[in-house]
Amino acid sequence: MAAGGPGSKTYSFKVVLLGEGCVGKTSLVLRYCENKFNDKHITTLQASFLTKKLNITGKRVNLAIWDTAGQERFHALGPIYYRDSNGAILVYDITDEDSFQKVKNWVKELRKMLGNEISLCIVGNKIDLEKERHVSVEEAEGYADSVGAKHYHTSAKLNKGIEELFLDLCKRMMETAQAEERLRGNGASTAAPGRRGVQIIDDEPRAATAAGGCCSSG
Amino acid sequence: MSSHAEHRRIRVDHSALVCKKGCGYFGNPAWQGLCSKCWREDNQHARSKQVEEDRALAERLQREEEAAYASGQQRALSEASATHLGKAEEKRMSQKSRSVPTVKKFFGSSSKPTLGRDATAAQTKPDASGSLGPQPVVESDQATKHFIDFLKTLQKPGRDIFRQCHSFRHSVAYKKDLGAEELTESIQDFYQSLSDHLNTLYKGTPERVEVVMDEVEKYLTLHLYEQTFCPESSDDEVKDLAIQKRIRDLHWVTVQILCAPLNEEIPAVSDTVVKAITDIIEMDSRRVPRDKLRYITRCSKHIIHGVRRTKREAASADDFLPALIYVVLKANPPRLHSNIQYITRFSNPGRLMSGEDGYYFTNLCCAVAFIEKLDAESLNLSPEDFELYMSGQASPDRLLGPGRSSSSSSSLRGGPGAEPAGAGAPQTRGRRDPDLPTGPGVQQEQSLHRPERDLIEWSDGMERSVQDVLEGLQLEPRSPETGSQPPSTIDSENADCEGLPPPLQPQVFAG
Repeated sequence: MAAGGPGSKTYSFKVVLLGEGCVGKTSLVLRYCENKFNDKHITTLQASFLTKKLNITGKRVNLAIWDTAGQERFHALGPIYYRDSNGAILVYDITDEDSFQKVKNWVKELRKMLGNEISLCIVGNKIDLEKERHVSVEEAEGYADSVGAKHYHTSAKLNKGIEELFLDLCKRMMETAQAEERLRGNGASTAAPGRRGVQIIDDEPRAATAAGGCCSSG
Repeated sequence: MSSHAEHRRIRVDHSALVCKKGCGYFGNPAWQGLCSKCWREDNQHARSKQVEEDRALAERLQREEEAAYASGQQRALSEASATHLGKAEEKRMSQKSRSVPTVKKFFGSSSKPTLGRDATAAQTKPDASGSLGPQPVVESDQATKHFIDFLKTLQKPGRDIFRQCHSFRHSVAYKKDLGAEELTESIQDFYQSLSDHLNTLYKGTPERVEVVMDEVEKYLTLHLYEQTFCPESSDDEVKDLAIQKRIRDLHWVTVQILCAPLNEEIPAVSDTVVKAITDIIEMDSRRVPRDKLRYITRCSKHIIHGVRRTKREAASADDFLPALIYVVLKANPPRLHSNIQYITRFSNPGRLMSGEDGYYFTNLCCAVAFIEKLDAESLNLSPEDFELYMSGQASPDRLLGPGRSSSSSSSLRGGPGAEPAGAGAPQTRGRRDPDLPTGPGVQQEQSLHRPERDLIEWSDGMERSVQDVLEGLQLEPRSPETGSQPPSTIDSENADCEGLPPPLQPQVFAG
């Protein structure tokens, strides 16, 4: 849903942040948007909706990052959040095998609901805890390749890999948007975004997962 | 012969088919039995008469208004000698009188009877500040005026925009039997085509287009509110009632069960919760989708403040959503489903896709979806407990009193921030029973019977006191009739009061 005249194009992208509680979604995005980690001086009010303005190869990009509730009990609400999003960042904790399984579930869902229009990033966070790694690099990267996603390793604590992650994602989303424009013609008309009412679809009765979706369980 | 058979088959007399005016052509029941020509003549006549009447009324009101202005101006001139004040007044007046023909021109393009009325209202508006008519009418008329004022700043394109919006509005208002779907479709198509048009008009300044589109949305939704909010053709109302009942049934859900990081024992936090509840309820009273969204955002901001206060760190979505669900449950906002549908249908689509308002609106949709589908598993409760709570036979704060540490209390493991609050806050009701038995089974049985006993006692007590009051009343009617009775001094022995029960003694309650 890029908008604006053809000359000075401003892209607006919506990116959803998915991941189990406690994998560090919030830290990741706070680090990126405000360069803060575990900030005890509470100047940041919220980390659930953040925006960032970028300039990539002369093109202006407005990034809106939507945090989502990661608790298991809210899993069925996913589609409401990632409707019409251009990109998704799926975060797992490299020390937690379960959180990687969750990422796989989300990928499956996203592909089913949004097809290939959405740029996916799978992010292994907490690489500062390399010693306690439970998800192997080969497995994660292999999986990402198999579903057409990119894989990144980050550490919000050490501020590693985060800039690259977002920059890469923006470039990919721009490519998608441009390709779409070419497809539509001169790109004179702005996208007519789907505007149907909210729908919740969870036709897949998920296996009764063990309780403990609460973030204190991690 | 054949024509005779035909007549018999449809059983309609020939005279019923011809035009009632007797012009010889066939009439049509849709035109009150007239033929098309006679109907048009008739209708035109009535219509132009109506327009004329309206115009006359408008002119009369305008004259009155001007007279009022003139007298006001004179007073201003005589009372305050400051001449520039008078000049300013004069300027305003001349601007006003100049604006009148413009308004007329705007409305002159079509000849619908309502137009004249609109113009009238727009003109009389300055002295109608005492809100003469019903509120909504005044509001939508003000909207028209505001809209025209706004479009004037756009010069010529403004006039085009107004003409488009105006005719669109009337075309929609005319089609009363449109279903919600078609209504949405046509309004969204209109937004789309208008914004396309504006995008070519104001190339390279999307901000400007956005401002215009906001005004267009405001104008249209204010005028079509009755028709578009909770339309009759949809089942919105039924769903409203369903969600309302659902929320009422879930009254027992606490912050702890939801793991919402809101510690209401901190006064500042409970304050923000109250503010959030107020805002989400207030949302219903707004008529423009954008205003409704603004209230949702305000509500969300209050919640975020509360979460941050409790957790002492920035609120993430993991914290925010449960807290929002809690607030929605506490508030039980009126016509929740209708409001959400209204916003989704008639808001400019771009606003819901991106932007902060869109984010919080999405969260509200999530909260509602969660509440609708909520079950024992999603609250980490055992199905038995859930059933018990839902049927109102027990409530979590009772069962979780001291001495009970079964499965359900372990489910109370709150979010990190909620833990200090523990089982504290919701205990107040349970605490009133000092004789709380220790055995869980006994307690449950007791707690099941106690309300029953309480109820019986209460109704007996009520009956007694009502009897008492009635006895007292029987003596009453005499006193108003004896109008000449001297005013009784409060503390004197009064014969009339003998039948009344003795005054209440404070000691009775102390025991």
